[in-house]
Amino acid sequence: MPEKNDIAVEVKGLSKNYGDVRALKSIDLQIGAGEYFVLLGPSGGGKTTLLRLIGGFIRPTAGEIFLHSAEVSHLPPNGRPTSMVFQSFALFPHMNVQTNVGYGLRLRNMPKVEIRERVDAMLEMVGLTGYGERMPHELSGGQQQRVQLARSLVLEVKILLLDEPLAALDAKLRKEMCIELKRIQEKVGITFIHVTHNQEEAMTVADDLAIISGGKLLERGKARDLYENPIHRFTAEFIGENNVFDGHVTAVDGEGHVMVDLGYTNLTVHGRDQMPGVGDKVSISVRSELVQLVDGNAMAAQGQEILSGTHRETVYLGLTTSELVRLPNGQELLVRQLSDGSGGNGIKVDEAVQISWRTVDGRLHVS
Amino acid sequence: MCLFFALPLALTYVWSFFERTMFWMKPGFTLFSYHNFFTSARLENFLASMGHSSISVIVAFIFGFPIAVFIRRRIPQVAQHRVILLFILPFAVSEIIRIFALRPFLQRNGLVNNILLELGVISEPITAILYTPMGVIIGEVLSFLPFIVFAGFLAMEAVPKYVFEICEDLGASQYRVFVDVILPLAAPGIFAGSVFIFVNGLGVALLPNILGGPGAVNAGLIATQAITALDFPLAMAVNAIMMTTLLGLLYIGHKLFDLTKILSPMS
Repeated sequence: MPEKNDIAVEVKGLSKNYGDVRALKSIDLQIGAGEYFVLLGPSGGGKTTLLRLIGGFIRPTAGEIFLHSAEVSHLPPNGRPTSMVFQSFALFPHMNVQTNVGYGLRLRNMPKVEIRERVDAMLEMVGLTGYGERMPHELSGGQQQRVQLARSLVLEVKILLLDEPLAALDAKLRKEMCIELKRIQEKVGITFIHVTHNQEEAMTVADDLAIISGGKLLERGKARDLYENPIHRFTAEFIGENNVFDGHVTAVDGEGHVMVDLGYTNLTVHGRDQMPGVGDKVSISVRSELVQLVDGNAMAAQGQEILSGTHRETVYLGLTTSELVRLPNGQELLVRQLSDGSGGNGIKVDEAVQISWRTVDGRLHVS
Repeated sequence: MCLFFALPLALTYVWSFFERTMFWMKPGFTLFSYHNFFTSARLENFLASMGHSSISVIVAFIFGFPIAVFIRRRIPQVAQHRVILLFILPFAVSEIIRIFALRPFLQRNGLVNNILLELGVISEPITAILYTPMGVIIGEVLSFLPFIVFAGFLAMEAVPKYVFEICEDLGASQYRVFVDVILPLAAPGIFAGSVFIFVNGLGVALLPNILGGPGAVNAGLIATQAITALDFPLAMAVNAIMMTTLLGLLYIGHKLFDLTKILSPMS
């Protein structure tokens, strides 16, 4: 098992161009050994490109890739301490589960008896004991992905790459498999690098995650950091259900308060570490569950932000109820509250409402 | 389908048991035609033609299938069908002309011999190429090749792209990929394609006529000769035997590979 403070993956200035398209723009990233790391981002953002560069399926246009301190960017996939679990149910359709999982070992000329033992142990690990004789088409989607996992793990690589491994599964199965993946990763103790566009999946499995969009690494951190204190506007839009307001700075005071003009009203937000200049374009985000509907005539109290709008819709989602409020500039704002069983608040469509949140809950984004 | 395929096929079998008359045939049941076939040199010729047709299919496969794999693997998707079209193009030319066109290449003072002589590889023209069973095989290989490339191209449909990525990930050599993955997955398509080409090869009467010289005969030629001799029941019997061979081969193939798989998308 690798040392905890080893660096499993280090990429420096990694870029990939496809013709004129710049899929990856000079990425720098370090991933610690034994971590469950998630690359999260929208489709076409470059996260799969990054994973395939690490795995050796494509060659970088520029930059270096170190896996456990060894430079590998010139090596083919099997020359690297990695193995890939693919998105679609990628198994050899003409081989049974046993042969599929053991094929990599057979290529390494391991004796048949030993292959059998290792495959059986690995099938037990992924919860498929007794499925060795089945053919891929006799398995469910989840089981096929478990076989892929076993095929990679049986090689005893140091780094497992997972390219949207759960994308083709339904929501319930995806949740189960997330927990299963996390359990297996903790058991084998190797580094997992998992690509997904699904925020919930990412937050379930990740020790640490990175947001990749537009070919750049925007932000990395723990799930909690990215959810509660996103630095970038994009992260706030992508993770959680945040309300984002765009405007420009009109004043900054000595206590770190930043006054922002939205065009139809002014808001105050704590700048924290970021101190923009007057006139800068900035954004403010606030989590939808920290926003409340208040009485239409209420006045802003000290330390509160308040906005006026018209009520558009109430959406009952079971655990939570969402209220959609239209702001004067046409933007829709989301208010999310736990459903309280009162049967709704009786607010009608197009009725004037006010929403408010604590100033400290607002987050300033300068980019 | 029934009208144009099954009915003539059934009639072939029925007619093959009819009795021969001077210019046509009359209803009846006799094994005379089959007796005639199996006790004459025709059987020998038929088996010989099966033999060289098999060799031709195998040789054509050895050259043609890698071409099909190459087209599938290395040529961009959009261009693949255009490249395949190149292999279909020869069929726009009448078969007899295509085969006939080989003669200037292969004959005693043909292009191949002349080039070899010029290069000093041989000191005398090779006479074994044309008007021998060898000539028939060369002709067959050349005329089968586009079919094999096409059949191989279709057979590769059964090999999903992702298997190559798995192989890359696991570190399988080109040879192992071919033997362990491409061949087994493409086998049903290859087999079906080969059988059709093989049987077609048996039936092409022109080829031995033009390239094979006096000794070369295949099943198609036997049937043609029987018709020329106005022995229709015998011609029907030869055809019936060919059909039976085809159906038998397809049945074996079906038992081995479950050929319905190539007709339905992969599940």
